[in-house]
This record gives sequence, C-alpha cells and structure tokens, in this order.
Amino acid sequence: MSAGAPAGAAGTARPGIVGARVQRREDPRLLTGRGSYTDDRKAAGAVHVAFCRSDRAHARIAGIDAAQARQAPGVLGVFTAEDIAAVARPIRATSNMPDYRATEFAPLARGKVRHVGEPVAAVVAGDRYLAEDAAALVAVDYDPLPDITDPEEALADRVLLHEDAGTNLIAAREFARGDVDGAMTGAALVVEDRFRIRRKTPAAIENRCYLAEYDAGRQALTLHGSTQVPGLLRDALAEIFDLPGHRLRVVAPDVGGGFGAKASLYPEEVVVCALAMRLGRPVKWTGDRMEDLTATSQAFDEIVRAKLALDADGRMVGLEADVIGDIGAYSIYPWTASLEPVQVVSFLPGPYRIAAYRGRVRAVATSKTPTGPYRGVGRPVSTFVMERLVDMAARRLALDPAEIRARNLVRDEEFPYKAGSGIVWDRAGFQDCLRMALDRFGYAERRAEQAAARGDGRSVGIGIASYAELTGIGSRISAAPGMPINTGTERATIEIDSTGAVTAAFGIASHGQGLETTLAQIVAEELGVRVEDVDIVHGDSAAVAHSTGTYASRSIVLAGGAATLSARSLREQVVKAASHILEAAETDIEMRDGVVSVAGTDASITLRELARAFYTEMRRIPKEARESLDLSASATYDPFFGTTTAATHIAEVEIDPQTFGVAVRRYVVAEDCGRVVNPMIVDGQVHGGVAQGIGAALLEEVVHDDSGQILTGSFVDYVVPSAAEIPDIEAVHLDTESPSTLGGYRGMGEGGTIGAPAAVANAVADALSGLDIQINELPVTPERLFRLIRNTEGNEGEPRHGF
Amino acid sequence: MERTSIALTVNGVRHERKVEPRRLLSDFLREDLGLTGTHVGCEHGVCGACTVLLDGDSARSCLTFAVQCDGASVRTVEGLGEIGALHPLQESFRRHHALQCGFCTPGMLMTALDLLAKYPLATDEEIRAGLSGNLCRCTGYANIVAAVREAAAARGDDRP
Amino acid sequence: MKPPAFEYVAAESVEEATARLAEYGDDARPIAGGQSLVPMMNFRLVSPAVLVDIRRIAPPDAIGEADGHVRIGALTRHRALETSPLIRDRFPVLAAAMTHVAHLAIRNRGTIGGSLCHADPAAELPAMAVLLDARIHVARRNGERIVEAGAFFEGALWTALEDGEIVTRIDFPLLPPGTGWGFREFARRHGDFALAGAAATVTGSAGRAAEVRIALFGVGETPVRAAAAEALLTGTGFEPDAVAAAIDALRNAVDPDDDLHASADYRRHLAGILAGRALGDAWARAGGGAA
Repeated sequence: MSAGAPAGAAGTARPGIVGARVQRREDPRLLTGRGSYTDDRKAAGAVHVAFCRSDRAHARIAGIDAAQARQAPGVLGVFTAEDIAAVARPIRATSNMPDYRATEFAPLARGKVRHVGEPVAAVVAGDRYLAEDAAALVAVDYDPLPDITDPEEALADRVLLHEDAGTNLIAAREFARGDVDGAMTGAALVVEDRFRIRRKTPAAIENRCYLAEYDAGRQALTLHGSTQVPGLLRDALAEIFDLPGHRLRVVAPDVGGGFGAKASLYPEEVVVCALAMRLGRPVKWTGDRMEDLTATSQAFDEIVRAKLALDADGRMVGLEADVIGDIGAYSIYPWTASLEPVQVVSFLPGPYRIAAYRGRVRAVATSKTPTGPYRGVGRPVSTFVMERLVDMAARRLALDPAEIRARNLVRDEEFPYKAGSGIVWDRAGFQDCLRMALDRFGYAERRAEQAAARGDGRSVGIGIASYAELTGIGSRISAAPGMPINTGTERATIEIDSTGAVTAAFGIASHGQGLETTLAQIVAEELGVRVEDVDIVHGDSAAVAHSTGTYASRSIVLAGGAATLSARSLREQVVKAASHILEAAETDIEMRDGVVSVAGTDASITLRELARAFYTEMRRIPKEARESLDLSASATYDPFFGTTTAATHIAEVEIDPQTFGVAVRRYVVAEDCGRVVNPMIVDGQVHGGVAQGIGAALLEEVVHDDSGQILTGSFVDYVVPSAAEIPDIEAVHLDTESPSTLGGYRGMGEGGTIGAPAAVANAVADALSGLDIQINELPVTPERLFRLIRNTEGNEGEPRHGF
Repeated sequence: MERTSIALTVNGVRHERKVEPRRLLSDFLREDLGLTGTHVGCEHGVCGACTVLLDGDSARSCLTFAVQCDGASVRTVEGLGEIGALHPLQESFRRHHALQCGFCTPGMLMTALDLLAKYPLATDEEIRAGLSGNLCRCTGYANIVAAVREAAAARGDDRP
Repeated sequence: MKPPAFEYVAAESVEEATARLAEYGDDARPIAGGQSLVPMMNFRLVSPAVLVDIRRIAPPDAIGEADGHVRIGALTRHRALETSPLIRDRFPVLAAAMTHVAHLAIRNRGTIGGSLCHADPAAELPAMAVLLDARIHVARRNGERIVEAGAFFEGALWTALEDGEIVTRIDFPLLPPGTGWGFREFARRHGDFALAGAAATVTGSAGRAAEVRIALFGVGETPVRAAAAEALLTGTGFEPDAVAAAIDALRNAVDPDDDLHASADYRRHLAGILAGRALGDAWARAGGGAA
C-alpha cells in the first residue's frame, strides 16, 4: 500500500514492529461479542433514566407536572432542573478569546428550552421500558417563543436565545494579512460564490450511554461512558460536583465510534452522576437513536461567502471570506461554539501560497441542537470552499485542475510556510501528494476515458481536492482558542510487574482507532519486547494523572510520543537492573523480543525472570539498586507546535443524466501522514474518513422545518451511506517522517473526511461542466441537482433529457 | 403487565423465561440472557447492528418481540467462534481489518453468514448490496467487502 | 425507543385470529413478521392494546397455481417470493421487485400480507398488486370477501380493511404469454424506500402492444395505475412519440407530495423517467411486440 520510502528508511535501523501490518489486539474480543461497551456493563441494582425532552425549539417553561409520571409503575423519581442545580455547579464553556460569549447550560432545562431534544426532566425507573412509559406522562407547559432557525436572521438579534448574552452573536473573529483589497482590484481574475454546507451529525453506530455508580462508603463516584475524553470529563465533573480526582473516576470501556460526538461534556453525563449520588444506586442512561439525532452535538452548518483572486498565470494572490456558523443553542463544553466556524477561516487558505488573506467569522446561536467537534472540524468546510474556488478559477483560466494546484501548492523549499491566518505549515509533501494521487489515479488516462464517456452521452466527472491540516497539536497552540484546558500534552506510564508483564497506561481513549495495537507496537519496539507482551490501558481517568483523550488526530503523535519517552526511560532501568542480575556492563546488555542478554555471550534471561529477580529474589541486586531503580517509567510528551498532515484526494463520479443519482466510481487518496505505525490501520482510517466525507457530500443532512423541528430524527431520514454507496478507496502514503514530532508521526484520523466533500463536489461540478450551474451547496442531493438543472434551463418544466 | 412464558434455544442452549410481551428480542438477549454481543444501534430496523439468525435466517432482533420467538432457535455472535478459535468468517474479518470500533460487527457477521448461505456473491456489487442493510461508520466498508469476498470464495462447492 | 405495553395473543387459525380481533375491536392489531409494525411501535407512533399474532396460522407460506391464478398465502415472506421458481416463471416482475425490498433480514421476516396492509405508498408489493390486478382475500369473523387491489389502497398507510379483518391470500391472475416486464425504482440509498418507482408489463402482438400496464409508486398516497398512459400506448408499436405522450400523460396524472427527500416536481420527473425505462425494458422483453 505504501509508496515512497519504506517505513524506517529515513531513520536508524529498526526492528520493524513500527510500520508492520500487525493484526489488531482488539479484534478477538470485538469479533466474538466479548467486547465491553458501556451498555453491556451490568451493575447490581441499577436503575434507568429516560428523559422527557423538549418538543419545542424555543419556549419558556411555564410549569412541569410530573405527578402522574411519579405514580407510574416502577418509577423511583422524576427530577428537574432544581434537583440538579442543588448538587451541580453550572457549566459554561469559557474562553479568553475576545468577542466570545459563553452560554450557561443547565443539564436539565431551566426556565427555557432552546432546541428540540433538550432534556427537561429525568425519569428514573427500574428499567428503560418503564422509564419511557413514565417520561411520556410528564406534562410540560410551554409558553412558545419565536423560533430562531435562520442564522442570518438571528444576527439581527430581533429575538434572543440567551437573554443574558444580549446577542445571538456568540463569537466573532477576523484574520488578516497583506493587502487583500489591493489583491482583489489588481487581479486578472476573481472568482467568488456563496457556499453552504448543511448541518450534519456524526452518527456513531453506538448511541451515547452512561452508567454512574456511587460508592457511599468511599464517597466515590465512577462514571462509565461512551466518551472519547475520560480525563477531560473527570476534570469537568470534579469542578461540577466539587470532588477530588481520587474520588471521581471516568472510564471509557469499549466505545462504538465517536467522530467528535463523544468528545464533549453532555447534560446526560451530569444527570446520571447527580442521580447516582442522590439515589445511592447505579444509574444508567442508554440513549436511543432518536436522542442521538436530536441531542448529540452536530456539525458544519455554515454559510461562506468567499472570493479568490489570481493573476493571469493562475497564481493565487488574494483570498477573502466571510463565514457565518450556525452553532445551535449552546456553546458546547469545553470546546466552545467558536471551534468549528473559527477553524473554517483559520484553514481556508489551505495548502496554497497566498500573500493576502482576510477571513471573518461570526458564530450565531439558533434554536437547534448544539454543534460540536466533528471529524475534520472546520476543515471539511474550508476545503470544500477553497477547492471549489480553485476549480472555478481553473475553468475560467482554461487550466487543468491539476496544473493550477501544482502552481499554487506550497513547495518543499518554502517550508516552514506561514499561511495568511497565521498557521505555520511544517515540511510536508503538499506537491508530492498531488503527484502521487495523480499517478495512482492514472489521471491522464482517466481524463481520456472521461472524454470518451461524454461522447457516449455519459456524465462522468473527476474532482481533485488538496488540503493541509494541523495534527498532534502541542501546548503552544490550543486545539480551540482560549480554552482553560490543556490539550497539548499526553502522559504514559509503563510498568513491568513482578510477573514480567508490561503494562502501558495512557489517558487517551481508543474507540475504533486500534490504539491498543499501535501504541503496543511503539512500546514493544522502543522497549525491546514483543507486541503481545504489552498490554495497553487506556480510556480510564485513573490511568494517568492528567489527560484529555482521543480527538483532533492527536493520539499517535502525543500518546505515541509519551510511549516512546517512557519506554526509553524504562529500558534504561531494565538495562541497569540486568547489569546487576547478569553481572555484565550496562553497555553490553541487549533486550529483544522480551529477552535480556549480554552481547557476545549466551547469558540471557527472560523479562519474566528478570522481574522475578528484581522484585522477589532479594539477593539478586543490591539494596541501593533496588531503591534507585524502578521497573516503571512515566513521561509526558508535548509536541509544542504539532505538525502538518497533507493529502490530495481524487474522486470520479458518474451522474445519471435523468434521475440525477450520483455514483462515486473511483477514489484515490495520497497522504503524507508521517511515519506509519500500522499501514493496515492507517488505510482503514482513510477509508472510514472518506466514507463519512462522501456522506457529507451526497447524502447526510440534518433538516429542520420552519418551526425548528428536526425532520431527520431516524436513520430512515438521516441517510448514512451504506456499502452500496461507497466505492473501494485506494490510499497511498508518502511515509516520510515529520521533522516536528518525536517518532516522526503525523495525525491522520480526520483527513478522509476533510478531503472527500470537496473532491466529490468538484467531481460533480466537473461532470456537469457543460451546464451553467454552480455546485456551491452540500450535500448535492438528486433533488438539488434537479432544481439546479431545471433552473438553468430557465423554465419550470421538465429538464431536457441528458445534459 | 402480565408476563408470558417462552422457551427458545440460543446458541444451542435452551432457555425458559417469562417475558413481558413487549420485550424486544434484542433486550431479551442482552438483558435477560446476558448475551451482550448483539448490539442495538437504532431500534427501527435500519442500522442492522442487532441482526441475529432466527431459525437460520437473519433477522433484526430489535424488530422482533421475544414472545414471538417461543420455540425458535436463535444464533448470536456468541455462537460463532471464540477467542483463540475464531469462526472462519471472523478470521477473515480480522485478517482484512474489517472492523474498527466493533459495534456494527456482530450484526455485520450475522448478516454476512446469511448472505453466504443464500447468494452467489459473485461480484462486489452483489456483496455491497447484500451488506447495505448494515451500517458501519468506521471502516468505509471496503475491508468488510474484502472479508466477505474471501469467505465467499472459500465456500467452494457449497456455493448457492 | 421501547414499545408501549400490550397484551399478546397468539392465534392458531384464521377463525381464532378474526374472533380475537373482533373481540378487542380497534384496540387490537394483527402482527405477522412485524417489520413495519414494530418500528412504529418502537417510536410509539402506534400503541395497540392487544397484538394478535397470526404468524402461526397454517399454511404459512403457500404459493401455488390454480384456476388461472397464482395464489399466495398472506403469511408468505418476501424472501419466499424472491426465490419461488413458480413466481420467477409466472411473474418475473414480482420476483425482481422483491429484490428491491429493504434488505435480506427484512425480507426474511416481512410477510406479503403485512406489506399490503401497511400500505406504504413507496412499497414495492402494493405496487405489484396494483400492476398485476391482484385480488386480495380478506377474512373477518364469520365471513370473508375479496377486494381488488385497485380498491384496496385508500391512502398512505390506509387500506379498505376494516377493524377485525385480516388478509389471508393474494391471487395474481396469470399474464398472457408474450408479456414482457420492467421494474425500476430510484432510492438515495440501496434498500431504502424509493423516492419513486415504476413497473410495467407489455403484452406484444405482431409488433403492437396489445396490453400495457404501468404502476407507479412513491408518487402519491397510494400506488396507482397510469391509466391514461396505458391507453395511449395500447395498440402502438412504442414509437418514440407515443412513448413521450404516455410519459407526459402519466406525469400529469400523478399527484406527489413534497417531503424531506424529494419535491413533488422531482418525484413527478422521476416517475416519467422510471416509467419510460420500465416500459422500454418491458417492450424489449416482449420482443418489441414481435410475439
């Protein structure tokens, strides 16, 4: 699968564990139904929560009558905002970013509801069936308030969602560099459009689920939950409930996908914790799909006006953008509502050399489900907009889309390159990825085939998208601006116990990425043991002193770095211990495949024997060594700036010229994700990301009606792509090491979703290039194509058959 | 609500239980029998995560009342291979990296077993169409298709 | 999403089922495969007090031929129709349509009686009943009646069935020899309910279409026959002008709604495209009228 230099070629000779297609450690349990997802966990005496949720988009709560619900069979209690407020401090996602207004969110709605699906009351019963029965009996008296559904209208502040904020404008920011106005007026060509990318939702197949258990004896609370961020939640809940960390533990067991949706603090998490403490019984909430589609954080939903200026040779000279982000009802904790829309303007210049840039963003509250992090964060939208502009310009200048990109992508000798929004790209294969993608796709031949297909009346289109992203972000740059949390470090502790078993503990939380395998590969290689000798502990706030979790393409860079540092440190300890036990010089001690030996001799012991000698057989090493040595090491890694990941995607689509159905026929990704730990897993991440991006381009859309009701409350209506809509995806990797991170890794979990909407949009536009229409709105559904095409024909009648 | 007695065989083991008529087979398997390998993703028959074999045919356990399964034989993912002795289809999934978070996997396996029993699966298009009632959000499907393709080829003369 | 509580009654015979349904009145619903009913119950869109399980009524899945009809027991699963050699031989259009019904797991459980009674406007089986002039046998306590498919579907999720009635059998009159068929539908995702669909049969005779049938689904409250288009094509040699006129006629005749996935205009457009394709397939399979 890998092209370019083989893994490790750029570095020292390696045993080759890193870079190998190691089969996943997770698989046997997951394949046999022996995984342990939160809902699989049984706690004696557990009771179940069902929420009474708002069926209004915006209304004042005049009263809640729970009398009937309290009398329903099996009900232990019905709880509302006041019950939670009595034990939990209010939650605000704060930021020191100027022009940002934090919105308070109450775990159960207080005074007002601001979106359909907002929890209003929590009903606790013996099982979920009974809890749902009773939740339906909770009568909420609402005084309707005007809905705020259109983000541009919301900016006028005629109706306020959060009265205490005084405005619906929750965040605003502007980036500027160079003389943009001059660039625009002096340019040979300016292309511009208004782009819209509709609201989508992550839709992990496992719905969110939380189980809180309170040990009244120890006064300790444990939350098991489907979360990407156990450490972050532990810290937040410690504040909310004023508990010290050693009496509060958050565990993410097996988690069924996240994609950002499980990376924030949710009302339901606070509620199950509060109720477990109040009731003294384990309290579980297992969200259902309707709750997921109305009350899990959503994504995108931006309007972008953008224009790109070029000289006569197709070189970009200026870029300007105005972004309005519809952030929904609340500024989500801890990321804030600024996360997604600000990233759009931050990343809009993309991997291109553009001297002048001005990007303005406004994040607007509306009476919809809150938005939050979603795979790619901002970059799927910025890439869609920029790559459409690039293709529009290429067409006007009669340049091939590949050629215009080659002229403008930052070249190797220009790194580090500072983009107009202030992002600094470190060395990455921007140009290489374009070349590799074109090669693998067979670009010239495909263009010839496309021309022939057109001759036969078929509508085939080819779309290219290039992008760059920051991954593995360290402490110097926050993953979201101004938040009072540290996302820039990760910690690892590796220990060899008295049986010789190696346990490496992390705060990250693998939920499909295979980190139990890839981190074990790194530890095994650095330590000199076999992969199967290493057990990875993760997803547990008790595993390390501080961690945030797995999100933002950070885990291999940050946790991998921490694994490397701690494994190296532990190896030194092992060598010292072995020099006592084997009575040899430290410089002669070797360790490979878990066997410690003395170079040039046949003296060797297994790690198990070494551990027994160290811990149990008291005469094997002197007292001083026992006290100075420790078969355990911890380290924190901070990549400081982080690194750059780049890719070019190429999609080929065919459009049925009569039904307007779009089929993606071919898909190639060429990616520079640094040193590859496990090519099998990396390819899998690319495939999955692209599939979500194709969904965003063609199928997936959260739709509200004029009164703020969600019309896509089921998987019938929220259309997630199936196997039949996704093509085979070819991934090729540049596989060079990042100069900026320990181990040379770059993050790559999100990239597929970043490139695919743009590549598919460009391919659709290319297929329809004979028509005078603009593809400026995603998803580009058959209905939208029908309307676009009919409108260009200037009548309300039937579109002519064929293009 | 009155409970009804049912007796059914799950993975070769006979169970007799009293159930409320509204109890979904998915909840019966997970909560009453502790067979949590069968997952619940939508409870309206679209995602396929809860697919089991019911009297040999794939079925959505979320669209089946346990009470309707009186006398039936159910096979769940726990009835395939075990850790250390995976079923060939599970082996193929592992070899091809056909799972990531693993949540859709049990339903995907049970569906694939039924497809392998009933369809030629001679082309990727046919495999993809057959799997289209099982949503996966992680893999992008290509590796699942590859795993099923290999399992189809391995059927040899048993091919339908 | 858990269903509301109900009382469960398993019926062993048509007599027992209809008696129980009569006893409980409109609080009761029959359940067979449950593939349409259970999702609605899980969403609590319907809350029957009693479910009368008719699945165990024998014979569960009889498919046989008699008196110029293929008779199909109402409890026959979609999967059985898809694979029945008799159906493939006599009604290949029906076998083909079944492959478009949702997914294998649904077809394994869902019954044809259930699909007819659920009467989803975009479902394939009701459209097949309308296309093939099926006769739907209905039983109630102490009686039975036959309803022509054309009169069975009264609205979206609404049929001519009265409380206490169940469908027991569907009879499809055999098609004349030399009948070609076509089935086309368009869905956004494989296995989903179609945005629109069309099925056609054409019986050819000496280069002419002696009989033409067109059924459209997903483009109105119920599946419909495109009677005006059928009339325009009958007797023609499927000349392009004749086909175009028929397509125009059927587009004018349908009355789709706007919904989340498609506007009425787009659905009307699709109806024409898909009917044109289905007719083309049918005409070609009829040997271009050569028989």
